[in-house]
Amino acid sequence: MMNLARKTLSRIGITVAVASCLLVGDGLWSGTHSASAQEVHVTGPLADKPAVMKLRLWRKNRLQLEPFFAFTVGDDYSRALIFGGEVRFSFLDWLGIGGWGGGSFVNLNTDLTRQVRDKGVTTNRNRLSLPSRENFPDQVGRMNWMAGADVHFTPFRGKLAMFQKVFFDADLDFFVGAAFVGITERSDTSIQVAPDGTQLCDPPAMDTGCLGSQLARSKRVAIAPSFGVAFQAYFKEFMGIAIRWRAFPFKWNTGGTDEAGPDGGFPDGQINSSDRQRQFNQMINIGFIFVLPPKIKTTD
Amino acid sequence: MREFGGITLLLAALCAALPTSVGAQMEFSLDEVEDEGPNRAAQKKVGKDAKEEGDLIEQLAAEKEVEGPEEPVPAREETVEEIYAVQQIYALRLKRFEIAPSAAFTVNDKYLRHPGFGVAANYWFTNVLAIGVNFIWYDWGNPLERGTTLVEQIQRSFRLGVPINEWQFGLWANFTYVPFYGKFSMFRKFLFQWDSYLIGGVGVMRTKPIPVFDPEIREFNWDMQVSFNVGIGLRIFLTRYLTFFTEFRDYMFLEKFENVNVDPANRDDPSTWLAGSSTFFNNLTVQFGFTLFLPIKFEYRLPK
Repeated sequence: MMNLARKTLSRIGITVAVASCLLVGDGLWSGTHSASAQEVHVTGPLADKPAVMKLRLWRKNRLQLEPFFAFTVGDDYSRALIFGGEVRFSFLDWLGIGGWGGGSFVNLNTDLTRQVRDKGVTTNRNRLSLPSRENFPDQVGRMNWMAGADVHFTPFRGKLAMFQKVFFDADLDFFVGAAFVGITERSDTSIQVAPDGTQLCDPPAMDTGCLGSQLARSKRVAIAPSFGVAFQAYFKEFMGIAIRWRAFPFKWNTGGTDEAGPDGGFPDGQINSSDRQRQFNQMINIGFIFVLPPKIKTTD
Repeated sequence: MREFGGITLLLAALCAALPTSVGAQMEFSLDEVEDEGPNRAAQKKVGKDAKEEGDLIEQLAAEKEVEGPEEPVPAREETVEEIYAVQQIYALRLKRFEIAPSAAFTVNDKYLRHPGFGVAANYWFTNVLAIGVNFIWYDWGNPLERGTTLVEQIQRSFRLGVPINEWQFGLWANFTYVPFYGKFSMFRKFLFQWDSYLIGGVGVMRTKPIPVFDPEIREFNWDMQVSFNVGIGLRIFLTRYLTFFTEFRDYMFLEKFENVNVDPANRDDPSTWLAGSSTFFNNLTVQFGFTLFLPIKFEYRLPK
């Protein structure tokens, strides 16, 4: 079955590739038509004019304030819902700087977290990673707050028709910068075996079955690169909306589990910084843009 | 890597063809002027006649100034009439076929990656509505080689098995609607047209569970699942017949996973191999591809 599928796939791939060459290539469709370019000399009132005239300068020398609601996506164990705000100032219509920040007011458990809580199994081999399945939601990592600074780059801007009745200006805002994320993780601990065979964690001292260490939490600030893109649409001279995707990858121990030792080996019987794994953290923002000064300028 | 030969060839062909397509759009040759047809010639003739008629009136007016008595000329009244200059839509879709090869990537399956190669075909029966089909092939070699590290972590840290399914293909019939149409400028120098569309339809997904909990005994066959999909897409016109597009689609279906429990007494009974109930599965997919509109040329029909 698998061999047949590979052969079929190869045939389909080659057939589609050849067909695409024939369809898209100029030879079949244009006959003797040959592609060439020439300089077009525009005369009259449009001579030497830019491609766009009477351009509304939405950003140049203006301050944009954007309160937003955001939620993280692609999380393994916990999803954060965030309220925050962003401030941007643009020196040019296509270049600006900004700062943003927000706090998570709710952290939602993912389906995987609920599955582990309901069906996880604790044995002597995995006691450090899962001392108790009932308390597992309390050992996973959470995002508490985040802030950052970005450089904004807006090369694409234009106008949009909706249902051929409503028209508004829109642009694509690319940004890159640094993010500071306040997170809570499971505290460092290590497991030991007592002479009587009992498994203990330290700290806290004499923590039988590591149940105490499962609930011990520590906070830190993770520094991460931050980048993304936003679609911004303006309905008034001073107001618009933004839908923004932001990524801020960094290493953290999302599950509170023993994943690796200092040399990458597993398990090492300790939960510490070696167990942090790189996560491609992402969030979606939906915000309202308020622009100051409210009066907009246009080009010639 | 051999399995991706078809995709590589296709993308290479599209990339190779793109510059010449753009170049063809930029041509301002005599052939293109002549292609505008008899309407253009008729306009030229009318213009020429009008010019000659203008000369005659000037001659008559000059003669009147010499010969006839002056008559009172009625004062000219300005009529206020609003005339709108509406730019033509860059590329019409009406009565055109659309062929769209694409690459598809599932973004919400934490346990198994599902890269796919897709082809869509649509017919536009209005300028904003189309009906069509799309097909995605997912079956590329051993699916376990596409598993993520999260599966191992769950097994190791929580002693849990993760039931996972592999997919062979999906086939859907769809409606497409284009409510958004716009144009963007880049640094005030380059203009490009784009639109955004909504898409949805119904079809099938062909899937089967990968035996994880009792792989020595259990073996599953491919099975069809009814599937619905909705999505939103963005299409950027490179020429009037070639576009780049990206879509965000949710392919929904009821998935039958492997039974996580193994009954030692009935281990060989295939009726115990599947889970008792189906699971509603959202396959959130991002697709990237190119669209070719056929025929590649179209004519605007202006009102008489």
